[in-house]
Amino acid sequence: MEFSERELWTVLHGLVLGTLFLLAFSGGLAGLYSLKANLLTEEGVAERTPRLVYGSVVLAVVAWLTVISGTFIVYPWYRAKPPEGLDLKDQSVLGDFPRYWLLASDKTAEWHKFGMEWKEHVAWIAPYLATAVAFAVIYYGAQLVRRGEIRRALMIFFTLAFLAAGAAGLFGAFITKAAAVA
Amino acid sequence: MQDMQTKPNGPVAAAFVAAGVGALVLGIFLVLNEISPDINNFLKFDASYGLGKGVGPLSGKVALATIAYVVSWVVLHMYARGKEVNFSRWFAAALILVLAGFALTFPPIFEFIVGLFPKAA
Repeated sequence: MEFSERELWTVLHGLVLGTLFLLAFSGGLAGLYSLKANLLTEEGVAERTPRLVYGSVVLAVVAWLTVISGTFIVYPWYRAKPPEGLDLKDQSVLGDFPRYWLLASDKTAEWHKFGMEWKEHVAWIAPYLATAVAFAVIYYGAQLVRRGEIRRALMIFFTLAFLAAGAAGLFGAFITKAAAVA
Repeated sequence: MQDMQTKPNGPVAAAFVAAGVGALVLGIFLVLNEISPDINNFLKFDASYGLGKGVGPLSGKVALATIAYVVSWVVLHMYARGKEVNFSRWFAAALILVLAGFALTFPPIFEFIVGLFPKAA
């Protein structure tokens, strides 16, 4: 049982960081939703706030690590160009070149044209949003309990970050299933 | 109105709008990359500036979007620092920018826009 370098990076990028992102998102969203003065005592707010800060910072850091590792480590393997002379319509010779393997057949081309084209871009929106959320949570801390309009805005941004990362992650899983970089 | 026991909301509003600017700039460069071969070449920051290897124009798109995000955050933060702004208005602007960015990354939408330009490949 062994992993190649590419397999390790794809697992780290998609599975490890993706799982951390999901955990941090669900915990953070629940934390933001329940951070209401009528639901919590002062002690309760003080107890929850550090967890919310750590969760939102982890989410932002994980979002950045995911897009950076995906774009600058995994993606070049995906778009590697086959050597001259290979038949770009013959999938049997394109196994090491996932992008070209997908494009070689009408049955798989949409995984690249729609799936990868969307994934490689939309994913980058997630860290921008997650960083804004983390900044706001650090900035206000326990005071968020008294800023309902900002708390609601944070939940919206948090959810949009999740949707961006979720779309990218979902297509990443599908594309890896169709044409793995490993 | 600001709860006097809390900090002013300007810095948070600035962070939200900056995130929207980053998303929109990413979407704009995605479209420009498809429209113009010159811009496509310009965006290959991996070849021009060594930003990654084999990443292609995506390297320039994400670099410029991230720079726009950071720079707009700094500028907006300096403007809004210490101020209590109309948060609903700032957040609406941020949301519009983010959703525009989302829309421009969605292949059917950016392909439609690209198709409006005669020089598109």
